[in-house]
Amino acid sequence: MTAVVLDGIVLGLQFGLLGVGLTLVYGLGGVLNLAHGQLAVLGAIAVWLAIGTGLPVLPAVVVGLAAIGLLGFLLDTTLMRPVYARRGDERVLLGLLLTLGVAFIIDGLLNWRYPIASLNISIGGDPISILGVRMRTGSLLASTIAIAAAGLLLLFFRGTTLGRGVRSVIQDEEGARLVGINPASVRNLIFALSAVLAGLVAVTRSMTSPVSASAGIDFTILALIVAVVGGLGSILGAFVAGILLGIVNTVSSFYIGQYITTIVLLAAAALTILLRPSGLLGRRK
Amino acid sequence: MLEVEELSVGYLGDDVVHGVTLTVAPGEAVAVIGSNGAGKTTLFRGICGLLTASHGRVTFDGEDVSGQPAHKISRRGLAFVPAERHLFPGMTVKENLALGAYPGRPDPATMDFVLSLFPQLADRLSQHAGTMSGGEQQMVAVGRALVSRPRLLLLDEPTTGLAPKLAKAAYEALATLRSEGLTLLLAEQQVPLALDLTDRGYVLENGRVQLESSSEELRRNPEVRRAYLGIT
Repeated sequence: MTAVVLDGIVLGLQFGLLGVGLTLVYGLGGVLNLAHGQLAVLGAIAVWLAIGTGLPVLPAVVVGLAAIGLLGFLLDTTLMRPVYARRGDERVLLGLLLTLGVAFIIDGLLNWRYPIASLNISIGGDPISILGVRMRTGSLLASTIAIAAAGLLLLFFRGTTLGRGVRSVIQDEEGARLVGINPASVRNLIFALSAVLAGLVAVTRSMTSPVSASAGIDFTILALIVAVVGGLGSILGAFVAGILLGIVNTVSSFYIGQYITTIVLLAAAALTILLRPSGLLGRRK
Repeated sequence: MLEVEELSVGYLGDDVVHGVTLTVAPGEAVAVIGSNGAGKTTLFRGICGLLTASHGRVTFDGEDVSGQPAHKISRRGLAFVPAERHLFPGMTVKENLALGAYPGRPDPATMDFVLSLFPQLADRLSQHAGTMSGGEQQMVAVGRALVSRPRLLLLDEPTTGLAPKLAKAAYEALATLRSEGLTLLLAEQQVPLALDLTDRGYVLENGRVQLESSSEELRRNPEVRRAYLGIT
């Protein structure tokens, strides 16, 4: 049981990293990015391509993530501009439609150019024992990266002026403008960061199981569930929800079966929304 | 310090403020008075860049700032405290105040000055701004504006939602800021308080300046007395 829960926490931290980007982009600009998972997979395929050119794994990961971050930045400065120029429902709807379009385009391109590509970073070495549980090196490295990334993110948002500036735009955009913060450049930065985090999650997942070019939709759905359960716009909420859902995921796939896990996850999300419509840590309006 | 020339501004192409001209000299305190819906808030939002004017010009410190976005005007030293305050509810009082100095760090002497002006805030630095009373939130809003070390402070209805005693206390704080040499422009429905504090005033009606005079003369003006001071 300990092993299953520990596995769940490891997986959950990665869920959290996947969800936090989605939640931040939504909190800042009202765009629910339906291409989030496709960006994750595109990041993984970029790493795969970089490795294919003969680069060692670590530089390949850096190059792949930088590329996906740049793409995120470009998407926000070009395609998302008309979205941010609108208000209210119109903005949300246009954001959904445009990002859904981006998702289809990325899926289509990957299916056309790299239909059988999949990233599978194998980390050698013997299993290591933690809390009496034997963990594979790949899974241990994936969790170390996830923990470090989560820690750095929380430090950034709580401890730096720029991080607080980002939170201030989520909490009150007009107040942020009045203290001299440009919401548009904050959105650019966070859209790029969100894409990098999505790519990073695809990379850490590939250390335990292959990430294929067609996995985008699964990542998107997962990110949506995590962000909604945590409360859209809540950074800490995404991590709490990620860890909870990670545990639900591994426990249900261990005791019930993998095929039913997605249903259990969706049921957990539906239950949370019924009990707390604004999510675990979302602010009530 | 501030020259507003023939400014017309409004929402979605419909002007609410029509050709308003006003000036504020360095060290001066100026009031814009008028009833609810006269256009005071729209005028202030137009000056500080939250709304884009359809006509006219705003010059701050000799530079034309018309059409510039709010965050740029704020960084030039024009701080605006809106009536709805627009604090960051999920952040502590300290974080709210510190963000006034964005992108830099707050100057310790300025922080000390803000806390001496509003001693209640000193014990509440780690409280979330969203959980505070209206009066305390107003203090945080003014404090956050002061931390940016503005050269001109614009206040829209600083007494909104405050009990009479708290409204008086708010104006005592503003009087202190005046005596420190800060230039003030404020919009107010509580006309007696505003005219006691300021040197000059503008009466705004239906988005137009109806009257412009020294605050003392405005207090004696029979029309102002009847319309805004409740004296017949």
